[in-house]
Amino acid sequence: MDMLELRGIDKVYRSRGKEPVHAVRALDMAVEKGEIVALLGSSGCGKTSTLRMIAGFEDVSAGSIALGGRRIHELPPARRKVAMAFEGYSLYPPLTVRENIAFALKSAQLPRAEVTRRVDEIARLVEIEDILDSYPRAISGGQQQRVSLARALVRDADLYLLDEPMGQLEPQLRAVLRGRIKSLLAERGMTAIFVTHDQTEASALADRIAVMEGGVLQQFASEKELKGRPANLFVASFIGEPPMNLLDAEVMRSDSGFRLSVGTDMRFDIAGAGLDVEAAKTLAATPQVRIGIRPQKIVVGTGDVRVKVVSNQWLGDQSHVAGDCGGRMLIAVTPGRVAARPGEIVSFALEPRHLHIFGGDGTCIRHAEGA
Amino acid sequence: MEHSSLAGRIFRGVALTLILIFFMFPIVWIFLMSFQTNEQILRIPPRILFEPTLANYEALISGQLRTAAGNLQISFMRNLFNSVVLSSAAVLLALLLGVPAAYAFARFKFRLGESIAFTLLSFRFAPPLLVLLPLSLYYQELGLNDTYFGIVWVYQLIALPLILWIVRGYFEDISPDIEHAYRLAGHSWREAFTRIAVPLAGPGIAAAGLLSFIFCWNNFVFALILASADKQPVTVGALAFVTASGIQYGQIAAAIVLSVTPTLLLALYAQRYLVEGLSLGAVKG
Amino acid sequence: MARLEINSVSKAFGAARPADGLSLAVEPGEIVAVFGPSGSGKTVLLRMIAGMFEPDDGDILVGGRSVVGAPPERRGIGMAFQNFALFPHMTARDNIASGLRARAGGGDVAGRVAAISRLLKIEHVLGHAPRELSNGQKQRTALARALIGNPDVLLLDDPLRNVDAKLRYEMRLELPNLLRRGTAAVLYVTQDYREAMAIADRIAVLIDGRLAQVATPADIYAQPASVAIARLFGDPTINLAEVSPVAEHGMLLATVAGARMRLGAADGAAPAGACWLGVRPEDLAVSSASTDDAIPARILAITPMHEKAVLLLRLADGTEWLAALPPDAPQGAADDAVFVRFAPDAAMLFDRATGLRIGASHRLKAA
Repeated sequence: MDMLELRGIDKVYRSRGKEPVHAVRALDMAVEKGEIVALLGSSGCGKTSTLRMIAGFEDVSAGSIALGGRRIHELPPARRKVAMAFEGYSLYPPLTVRENIAFALKSAQLPRAEVTRRVDEIARLVEIEDILDSYPRAISGGQQQRVSLARALVRDADLYLLDEPMGQLEPQLRAVLRGRIKSLLAERGMTAIFVTHDQTEASALADRIAVMEGGVLQQFASEKELKGRPANLFVASFIGEPPMNLLDAEVMRSDSGFRLSVGTDMRFDIAGAGLDVEAAKTLAATPQVRIGIRPQKIVVGTGDVRVKVVSNQWLGDQSHVAGDCGGRMLIAVTPGRVAARPGEIVSFALEPRHLHIFGGDGTCIRHAEGA
Repeated sequence: MEHSSLAGRIFRGVALTLILIFFMFPIVWIFLMSFQTNEQILRIPPRILFEPTLANYEALISGQLRTAAGNLQISFMRNLFNSVVLSSAAVLLALLLGVPAAYAFARFKFRLGESIAFTLLSFRFAPPLLVLLPLSLYYQELGLNDTYFGIVWVYQLIALPLILWIVRGYFEDISPDIEHAYRLAGHSWREAFTRIAVPLAGPGIAAAGLLSFIFCWNNFVFALILASADKQPVTVGALAFVTASGIQYGQIAAAIVLSVTPTLLLALYAQRYLVEGLSLGAVKG
Repeated sequence: MARLEINSVSKAFGAARPADGLSLAVEPGEIVAVFGPSGSGKTVLLRMIAGMFEPDDGDILVGGRSVVGAPPERRGIGMAFQNFALFPHMTARDNIASGLRARAGGGDVAGRVAAISRLLKIEHVLGHAPRELSNGQKQRTALARALIGNPDVLLLDDPLRNVDAKLRYEMRLELPNLLRRGTAAVLYVTQDYREAMAIADRIAVLIDGRLAQVATPADIYAQPASVAIARLFGDPTINLAEVSPVAEHGMLLATVAGARMRLGAADGAAPAGACWLGVRPEDLAVSSASTDDAIPARILAITPMHEKAVLLLRLADGTEWLAALPPDAPQGAADDAVFVRFAPDAAMLFDRATGLRIGASHRLKAA
């Protein structure tokens, strides 16, 4: 059953003397019970407005929100049974860390022993046991963020809303905490929605990611699906680190299917047999396409694409090689070290089967194979 | 607020109108009074419609106040001139002293810095009458009594703390890195102060200057005690309208209109400048 | 051509000592990244070189001449700030040109502004005020302003901090070439170890006001001088376990969560006493097959990251370790019982008491 259901949500901000801002448009989204969902996008894409509408801090301009079968979009925030961790932490300054975390539990009139047990448990999870008796102003930003997370996760709620929950965490703790929180949410079957601009965080934590841009939901799918089968050019170029290499190509018919040429430097043969009927038809009717290939799919040292190395950076666990090919920049990522100095000529292998093909309007014509 | 009902909108309109009338009425009434004779003003019930007369303004400008008890010499234009001179000079001096001081308080930590800044502010807390008696004795001693300089100096009690504290806040809002960047580009600290800090704090300096101008303009007590007739500003000069044969309401109204106009115009002009300045949102990076 | 030398510089603010006997030399044309956790004194060091405060002790030399006590404008320094610090009341062009105009004989100001802005791809926004620029354009303008005077020393204070991820990545590729154009000695402050590794010739690791290690990026990653440095490089962070290794048949062995693990050849005596064992997440292999040289563990969660699968594992003794597996490796699922291995040469040993790496001290390249 769907735990949370957003139907036709619109949000328009009107202020006197200014153009109304359409922050969210016709958003439909259903989140299953126990699912972790990320709202991902750059600033101003509507993700935070969406979260705030679910929490009840903003009215919906149109549409409805249902949580666990209850219509909640006209209820005040306190009656929606949602817990929230705020981006600015919003800890209560006159209370200690322990009192902050226990605050909602005490209002729910839980027995004292139970409150202590739950606070201690969550404190261990986010590693704040040693600051439980400190006041918020005396602890670091990373610690405040962990307290804010603990305060939300300790509650009993139908839905957990987390606004940029891990942006300020100490880098050394980030990976471990992601794992622990994901494990906690899964173990208790908690449903959570979090907002982030960091795709690493989104893919690490979320079961499904809602990619938003310009107030419109672009794609709502698992990380694998977003990477392998992006719905459009925006999602393709937005998801993936480093971003997908994108090139303009001309389409020509060939004996076995299509030939895509990028300037005079690269050509790729796409077998007609491998294309579905719809894709072949569209490709035949599109003279100019954009092709994309993930940096991780380019093999350095073999292949027939000759590039001049612009930079070669070893990051300890992977190399990023940027090469110039007739004025176009290609980036390749390989797990090992590469012996290539800036200015040298090396070979890149780009296989046709790894190419994503997009039409002029950004819609996807063909996805890379094996995705 | 976007879903407000028709009734709500009407209620809001009515409420706003009432508030507007409440605040605007005295000003409009004074303005109307300034075009009436004393008899017209004192009529009961008062009337909105009347035959306007410029007699009040004539009297003020010519300095001849006609009352039932005969003609009276008043120096209203002289008072107005004094107000302009005293307030402008006081604000100018306060800016020259206060802006560099505000910069120092904002940028440098020095011994007793906070105490000095607070002491300066505390001048605003003390009732003027408290300092007036010793001050007037000193002034007599120093020969500053009844001089423009003496009054301008005592006006620093009003203007300097205001400018110091407002402008300090504006300087603190400017990232010091902007000045650092300017110095690393090869400029001395004087240039960094005059070409970066002062222009960026411009709106604040204007606001502080304007506010202190208005406070100086409205001051009554200092000038009453320390200035004689030919150095008095309008606030003190207005006392002359309380004559032996009654209070000259028409002339008072005209005098108020004339004395409020300069500050009002200044405020309107500076308001535009202020809004423009405050939208300079790039200051904080 | 001028070398930047920092000789045992110290600075204290009350009880805090953001610089405690720092010594570092940067050659002309070299990029040295100053990297460390927040509050370790990176920015204070840069600001002492720029002349915003003076060191309590020690000397700073540019081209052999001491600059301590000289006003900032006479130190021959270009600087880019984290918050851009553009002059808000000037256009981008005037921002960039401000340094040239100040110096006598600025020469062809217009020509040089045009050249540097072409290089930084901001020619089209030169007429705009800073508030009309995107963050990326602001930072490019600030860089142009720092670069245009061909300073002897270039200081970059976390310049990509406030730029979005995509632009940051682009700049990471472009910056080394841009910075090496001149002959400036470059100090680049950052809090992102990947940025430091990508951009710098050498990295100076600053911890609590002291230089913990100065070495090339690859050396620091492979041979961190201490456990604290090892924890700063790598995402996910290096896994640690407390062990007491023993030498047997020329091999160093240690018990990790009940399993006997080989830690490489024992050259000489086994390290005495308790150690930290460090293994990087990408050096762990995870499988469902049990052998006696594998640590039994349970998968708590799988968090995909940077095209890898990151597994949070709970070892038999309760320790949590992270494994970063290539995308095509079999991963299992949360709650699976698995076995964890690592190659003996992937193991790093650190002294439990001092945190220093064992058997690596002779390889350290001090500055």
